[in-house]
Parts: sequence; structure tokens; C-alpha cells
Amino acid sequence: MPNQNEEVLLRVEHLCQYFKSTKAVDDISFDIKKGEVFGLVGESGCGKTTTGRSIIKLYDITSGNIYFKGKRIAAGTLSYKEAIKKAREEMKSASPDRQAELKGLIDEQRQLMKEAKHDHKHCDQMYADEIAKEVAAKYEPLLAAAPDAEKPELKKRYLDEMRVAKKQRFITQIQMIFQDPIASLDPRKTVYETIAEGLVIRGEKDKKVIDDKVYSVLETVGLVREHASRYPHEFSGGQRQRIGVARAVVMNPEMIIADEPVSALDVSIQAQVINLLNDLRHQLGLTILFIAHDLSVVKYFSDRIGVMYYGKMVELATSDELFAHPLHPYTQSLLSAIPLPDPLYERQRVRIKYDPLSAHDYSEEKPTLREIAPGHFVSCNTREYEAYLAQMKAKP
Amino acid sequence: MDTILEVKHLKVAFRTTGGTLKAVRDISFDLKKGKTLAIVGESGSGKSVTSRAIMGILAGNAIVEGGEIFFDGKDLMHISENEMQKIRGDKISMIFQDPLSSLNPIVQIGPQITEATLLKNRTSRHEAKREFNSMLSELKSNMKAAAPAEDQAKIDQAVDELNRFISEATRMESKFNASMENVQAAAIAIDDIKYRVGKAPVDLKSSLHKVTEKLKRVNDPFAIGKNQTALDECRQTLDRLAQTGEKLGEGKDVALPEKTEAALDSASALLRGILNEERPDFVAISYYLQHHPHEQLSQLPVQQLNAETEQALDAGFMQSFYEKMEKGVAYSENKALENKRKILPKLKAEMEYYRGEFTHRDALRRSRELSKDVKGCIDRLEVNKDNAAYAFDSSMTGAINRFFYVKAHNPKEEARFARQSARRSRLIARGKNVTWKVVPKNVYDLEDLRGNITNIVSRLDEHFTESVNSESRADLHARCLNIMDYLKKRASQMVARVTKTMARERALQLMEEVGINNPRERFNQYPFEFSGGMRQRIVIAIALAADPDILICDEPTTALDVTIQAQILELINKLKAERNLSIIFITHDLGVVANMADDIAVMYAGKIVEYGTAEEVFYAPAHPYTWALLASMPDLETKEKLEAIPGTPPNMIYPPKGDAFADRNRYAMQIDFEQQPPEFPVSDTHWAATWLLHPYAPKSEPPKAVTERIAKMKARLEEQAHA
Repeated sequence: MPNQNEEVLLRVEHLCQYFKSTKAVDDISFDIKKGEVFGLVGESGCGKTTTGRSIIKLYDITSGNIYFKGKRIAAGTLSYKEAIKKAREEMKSASPDRQAELKGLIDEQRQLMKEAKHDHKHCDQMYADEIAKEVAAKYEPLLAAAPDAEKPELKKRYLDEMRVAKKQRFITQIQMIFQDPIASLDPRKTVYETIAEGLVIRGEKDKKVIDDKVYSVLETVGLVREHASRYPHEFSGGQRQRIGVARAVVMNPEMIIADEPVSALDVSIQAQVINLLNDLRHQLGLTILFIAHDLSVVKYFSDRIGVMYYGKMVELATSDELFAHPLHPYTQSLLSAIPLPDPLYERQRVRIKYDPLSAHDYSEEKPTLREIAPGHFVSCNTREYEAYLAQMKAKP
Repeated sequence: MDTILEVKHLKVAFRTTGGTLKAVRDISFDLKKGKTLAIVGESGSGKSVTSRAIMGILAGNAIVEGGEIFFDGKDLMHISENEMQKIRGDKISMIFQDPLSSLNPIVQIGPQITEATLLKNRTSRHEAKREFNSMLSELKSNMKAAAPAEDQAKIDQAVDELNRFISEATRMESKFNASMENVQAAAIAIDDIKYRVGKAPVDLKSSLHKVTEKLKRVNDPFAIGKNQTALDECRQTLDRLAQTGEKLGEGKDVALPEKTEAALDSASALLRGILNEERPDFVAISYYLQHHPHEQLSQLPVQQLNAETEQALDAGFMQSFYEKMEKGVAYSENKALENKRKILPKLKAEMEYYRGEFTHRDALRRSRELSKDVKGCIDRLEVNKDNAAYAFDSSMTGAINRFFYVKAHNPKEEARFARQSARRSRLIARGKNVTWKVVPKNVYDLEDLRGNITNIVSRLDEHFTESVNSESRADLHARCLNIMDYLKKRASQMVARVTKTMARERALQLMEEVGINNPRERFNQYPFEFSGGMRQRIVIAIALAADPDILICDEPTTALDVTIQAQILELINKLKAERNLSIIFITHDLGVVANMADDIAVMYAGKIVEYGTAEEVFYAPAHPYTWALLASMPDLETKEKLEAIPGTPPNMIYPPKGDAFADRNRYAMQIDFEQQPPEFPVSDTHWAATWLLHPYAPKSEPPKAVTERIAKMKARLEEQAHA
């Protein structure tokens, strides 16, 4: 079912994540629209998990911006620093006019960097302040208008809500499901404690509210109340992954980052978890960033798919379009490696090998992400762009 | 097609705190030479336990409740650890699921790959000598028994002559090998110089000197052949260069002097040429030399040399020898058959005996006596060993010992359980708060174990009856040729030596074969310096280093992504074709095995529920569990909701009475909950254990997702056939 909603929920701009000299993610940009499932595929080590973790701010990003619901939640400073450095270099041999201009540029960059740092650090705080302001706006007139007898009661409620509001974190609206259900659950915590932990941190103190939420979310993910008091080791792999899903869903997130949620599971249990995620998505109107390497599953589950290779986005299109017209040689090689349950076909299958050095000639011009067809982006330079365009025209 | 591994009625259980967990419940299968058998099933279905049982690496709390695994005339379930060690890694090797945990983190990968080759080295020489001697003496005694009295001396003479020139051949081969070792070492040393230049300081004088030293030791005429002058020249040039050799420093711009480089290149080409030369047939040559002691053979081209000497050997000795040998082989076969005929009634009586009451000592004595008779039924000149007969003794002793162990153990266990339960209820009656639980009873079914004993006898009985009644006899001449090949192979194994440098060279070759680039550089790196796919390749290289007959792959690609998975699968397929490997491939993903498997066994809850060729299982699946597996995986066209298998596998501490899959099966009938289905044949090579195949069962179709997919696959096939 194609996603009709055009509202952008998450925007990633020029995201770079370097670990020392390793460029795990190198300048990738994409939008995720509200209510869609966006698949990220690529081989291990290509930076798909790093992208997910950067979005949820488990890492401080090196450069680029991430906007969630229009607000900047993460920003890196490397691009500004480099711009300043370049300007300074140029300043040494520039004419006085140009020098003044460059000075302005440097100041501007500094200002931008300051803003980025501020946003990156204080986005949660700003969000909490906003909510606090709303709460205040709601209660102040009520308090003023209320009769004296009700005032202490009202005041108590006001303060309670204020306390919760101040503990709100914007980033908790994005939740993550991890790959390995065994490693991502605390073996010493019961399922109840694991699921309730997020609520408690967020400032929920009312035992009854927590109980209600935990039990209802357990039912949503297909477990029962009795499971709440058990420990993770008492569950099978599929059930453990359901606990992971429950932990994410209980925070009532807008978006979920599912990092290879089914890779560690048996085929028969994979189907259960995928069906669960699919149901939740429709019930709760979730947006999902689905990271996986199993292409059949990604194709089945995602609306749009981004293909990553060595930290770069090489192709991005709707899933049907991507599988019907794979353009980038890496995508083609990836698609040709999918195993199918058909022995005679499999024995004849020819895998396309991808060798970046022989496939591209980027000595003259570096590749950029360009739109070949509406919504279909490929990383290419001008010559390849023209070739791809011709290729698209030739195909029906 | 030869069967290389037979698993017969294997039952494995695990002692756990909750009770005895039945992991494998009576499975049997055969592995054919050069074929791949895929075992498919969810986690907990017992597929890994099966493979670990074959390797003899079951966990400490495992109990083998019954069954045999036959390999090369041995019952792997009942041999000592010392014997098992000779098989494990050498004849049967395994690739584990998690490459990180199966590599030693503090040892560089090079030594880890060469370890198996070097360890195998010595033992296999001794082994070969023993096997050679026993086969030859067996041959001699059978030939003598088959021949009339006046020919006895002639046969002695002929066999002695054979032995003499084969021994002479091994001596010559040993000398040849020593020279070839030096040739190879020199070639390796040259490669090392070329590789090291620029990367590290190189002292040309000493390095080149090393090469010439090695070249000086190449002195076997057959190894040198016609290359004497070339070798001499090469050595002299290198010697000259060594005298003026300088010390090269480090750095990118450092290169070999032009002259040295050219000399090394030509030397390397010469040495590789010698190494790639066909091996002379020393058995034939040594025979020829005995009759023409003064002839210079080493100057002839190898093909011509082999052809001529072999012809001489055939005409002069082998033809007449084969005639005598055929008689001996026929005699041995007939004797074995005769003994088999004789022993058949005895086996029946023995079965009766083990059905009744018997004491431990008595049973062991009888089984020993019987084993002696069974040994008499073995045709020892058979190169492919008759597993059931060879392993009869150890299987019987193991089964009897286990029976009596359990017989003594059960009452003790009952008493313990009664004592503990009584204590617990006493405490509760007194109003104490009891926090501990009674450890569940751990008793075994004695009748089951008795069944194991009788099964061994009855299987042997069936096996013997079959061979007695079968009309077809192997072609005698072909069998003689086989035996001769066997002897020759063992003879050359006796002198095959692997030095450290050779092992390293082989490891480098293997690394290249499994797709690791820059093996020289990678050789000295630690496992953590490799990515997941690369580590898996190293594990494969280690598994292949000892040149095994059987490779067990336990989910080798589950942790890897699609592209690497495809590469690894292609690699395993390629190696299978090149080395005639037999593979057991274990996975939970049916998609993966489609291009790997020749045969597929689908396992569920410790049993094989469906068995057939890959085509049969994918195009005409018969068991509802196979349907469910196929339906639950999305393919590229799937749009509808996936048909997940509801529920979880049963708790194998309390295995269900009927079909284990019944609870999760939409097609389950009443009988599925009550009785275990037998194996219903679908075709000659395909069977499934489901009541749905019973003639009285209602007709049922696989789920829509599966039928549609099969229809699509068939349509695509036809399309291809047209195109």
C-alpha cells in the first residue's frame, strides 16, 4: 500500500559520522515521510546501523543536520569548521575587499556553528520548556478562577504535570528495536521492569498508569499479562523480540528505528515479527526506519528503500521501482545475490559482481545523488546520469 | 553411488535441571560421496545436535540413547576419544555458525590454518604404513588359500616381488619428495624476497644465499629431469648476484636491482615449471629399473616415462599377478558370503536371547563370541568397508553396557526421587516455607535400550540377508585394480611429508582459493582484523586445510549479509566440485539451500519429517511443516500478510505423543494428536512423515502462497525451456 502522506517526519541532511579516520557514514541525505516504512539496505559495515544510531543520538554526529518534525535534533560542526579553515587559508593572499568579505563569512559560519551546537545540546530542553509553558498556560487561568477550596488539589495536579513536563525528552519520540533480542534485554530485569523503565525515567510515578500501559502494550505485541513477571531467558527468540518491540512501543513513539529486527530469528519466527510490526504500523500510525540485509523482507515491508555502500547512499527509490529498475551497479549486484527457494532457477543464477574501481570512472567528476525518474535517485556523475536516463527510456 | 556416512536410528538426549530433553529422536540418513545433504529446521529441532554427534563434540550433559553413525568401518558413537581425534578435523571437518567464537583470538590466522596440516602429517604416515602392510598380508593369505598346493611358492614369490618393488618405489619417491621440497622451498624464498622488498629491509646477500643453498640440495634425477643445465645456470647467476648483493632499505621507492629481478623471475618460472610437472609413477619405474638396472630414465619426458614403464609393468608382472589376485579376491568374497550364510540363523537366535533375561557378563561374553563370527564374515579385501560388520563389536558392547548401567541407575534414581519428594511434603506438612524444588526423575526406558541391542543385531541380519541374496557381484578385475590403487596410494602416503614452509604455502593457496586477497599480508594478522565475511572464509580455509572427506557446515552464512552469503555458498559449491567433498549443510533458511543441496531433510522436534531431492522438496512438498516453512518466507512478489507458523515448538522434555507438529498445524487431524505418523513414501527418493499421505486421509492442498509460488516457478521453467 503506497503511502500518500507527504508530510516529512524526519529529514537527514548531509549526515556524516566519522570515527577517527573511518568514514562510517559519509554525506547522506534523505527524507522519511509520516507513516511510511523506509528501508535501508547494504552489506555489513556499510554504515546503515550507524545511520540509525546517529538519528537517535547515540552518537554525536560529525557533520550535517537531522530534523525531526521540523525541529533540529542533531547537528554536526565539521562542515562549518572546514568552511572557516578554508576562508582563513584564502585570507592570507586575498585583496583587502575580499578579506572583509571573508571575515563576514567566517563570522557567519561561527554563528551557524554556535546555533548548531546549541540545538544539538538543548533540543530536548527546549522541547521540555515548550511543554512546560503549555502546561502553565493551561493551569494559570484555572488556578486564578478556581474557588479557594479546590486550589490545593488543583495546585498539586499542576505541579505533578509540571514535573512530568520538565522531564520530557523530544528524542524519546524516536525509539529503537535492536538486532539481537538476547543481548539487548537486561537478563536481571523482569519483562515488566524492562518495559516500564522508559516510563519511569520519563517521570511517571503512578503505579496504576504504568501497569495499565505495560499490560496493554504486552497484549498489543501478542504476549499475555502473565509474561510480565518473567525474565528474558524464559522466552523463545521470537517472544524476546516482541519484548523489544513492546519496550519501544510503550513510549508512544512517532517513529521506530528497527535495526535488523529479524536477522537473528528463525525463518518461521521472522514471519511472526514482521506481521507484528506491520500490524502495529497500521494500528498506531508508526513511521519506521527499517534496517536490514535480507532483501526479500525489506522489499515486502518497505515503501521506499535506500541502498548504502561504504557510507554513501548509492540509490534511493520506492521499493517496486528499485526492484523493477535497479540502475546502480551495486544495487544490481545486491539484487542478483538474493537466494530464492527454487532449485533449478538457483543453479542457473548468475551473480553480478560489483567492483567499484572498474564499474565507475570518477577521476574527472565525483558522483552526486541525482534524480533519474520521479522519486528515483542514483549516485552518479554527468556521464553516468545520461546513460541511466537513456536506460530508463529504453525500458517500458 | 558410494555412501560415505551412515546415520542409523540416532537418539540423543540432554540432562537438564528440568528433566531429560529429547533433542534427536530416532533419525537415519545416508550421505553419498560428492553430494550435499541439507538439514533444514528451526532452532531446537536437533539439526546442530546431529552434526555435533557426528563430530563427537556433544556437550557434557548429552546422552546418546541409541543409534550408530558409521564412517569408514567405524561406529563413531562407540569409539574412543583417541580414535575419534584421528577422524575429527582430518576426515570430517566442520564450519561453525559463529566465525568469531570458532577462531582463537590470540593466535594469528596463519598458524591456525596450518595447524591441521602439520598435525595430520606424522600420524597419516604411520597410518598408511599400517594399512599397507595389513592389506598386503591379507591379500597374500587369500591368494595362497585360493591357489592349489603346488602354486604356493609361486605366489609367495610374486607377492614378495610386488612388495620389493613397491618398497623400492617408496624409497625413490622419498628421495624425489626431498628434492621437490627444496625446489618448493626455493620458490617460496624467492616469492618472499619479492614480496618483502620495499615493505621491510632486505639483505639481498643472505636472502639470495638462502635460495642457492636450497637449490644445491636438489639432487634427485627424476626431480631435475631435463632441467639440469637450467638449474645449474640459475644457481650460478644467483650465487654471483648474492656475492655483490646489497642491503635494501625500507620505503615505497625501493626496488630490486634490474638484473636481480630478472634472475629471480626466471628462476621462479623454472621452479614453478618443475613443481607443476606430472609426478612419475615410481611403482612402475622401480619395477622397470629392476629389470633394466643400467638405463637412464630420468631424461625422458614424464608422460612418456610413465606410459612406457607402466606398459612394461603390466606386461611383465601385473597381468599374471592379476589373474592370481582375482582368484584370491573371489575366494575371500565367497568365504565371507559362506560365513554370512552360516551366521544368519545364529543372529536370529541371538535376537531371541537379548529379548529374554540375561546377565551383564553373560551378555558381553555372547556378544564377543558373536562378534568373532561376524568378523569372519568381513571381506577384508573390500576397499569400501562394510560399516555394520566392522563396527558390530563396539556397537554391541556400547549398547549392552548402557543397558546395564541404566538398569542399575533407574532404581537408585527412583529412590532418590521418592526420598526428596517425601522430604519436601514432610516439610510442607510441618508448615515450613519450602523454596526448593524436587529435581525431576531421570529414568530411562529399559525396553528402549533393549530395543537398541536387538536393533543392532537385526540390522546386521537384514544387511547380511540382503548381501547373500543379491545377485550382482562386483567385477573382479575392477576390484583388483581398486586394491592396487589403494596399495599404491598408501605407499606414496608413507613418504609424503609436509614441512612448515610447505604447510604455509598450502595455507596461502587455500586463502586465495577461499577468496582472501593479499594472503601473504593477511597471513600474520589476528582474527579481529578481519570483517565477518572474511572470518568465515578463514574458518572455511581451516576446515579444508586437512583435506577432509566430509564437510559439515552448521549455518555458515546465517550471520552474513546477502552478497557475502552468495560468495561463500558459491565457494563451498566450487570446492565440493573440485575435491569431491561430501557436505552436510545445516540451515533454517530454505532459500539458501536451493542452489546447494542435492538432498534435503526437513527436521522438526528431533525427527526428520520430510526427506527428498531438492527438486522434490521445493516443487512438490508433502509435509505441512515444509509448507509452513515455505509459506512463511516472503519472496520478491509477496504482498499479502505472511503466513507465520503459530505458536512455538513443543517442549522436548515432554515430547508430544503424536505428531510433534500437530499443535501448530492447521491440517492436523485427530490421529495426529494420538499416534506418530510413519514414513509415507511419495516417490523412490522422497518420503514424508505425515498422516495426510495416508490413503484414508482427506485430500489437502498446500497453502495458497506455496501453490502459487510453485506454479510461478514452473511457468518460469517452461518459459526458459521455450526460449
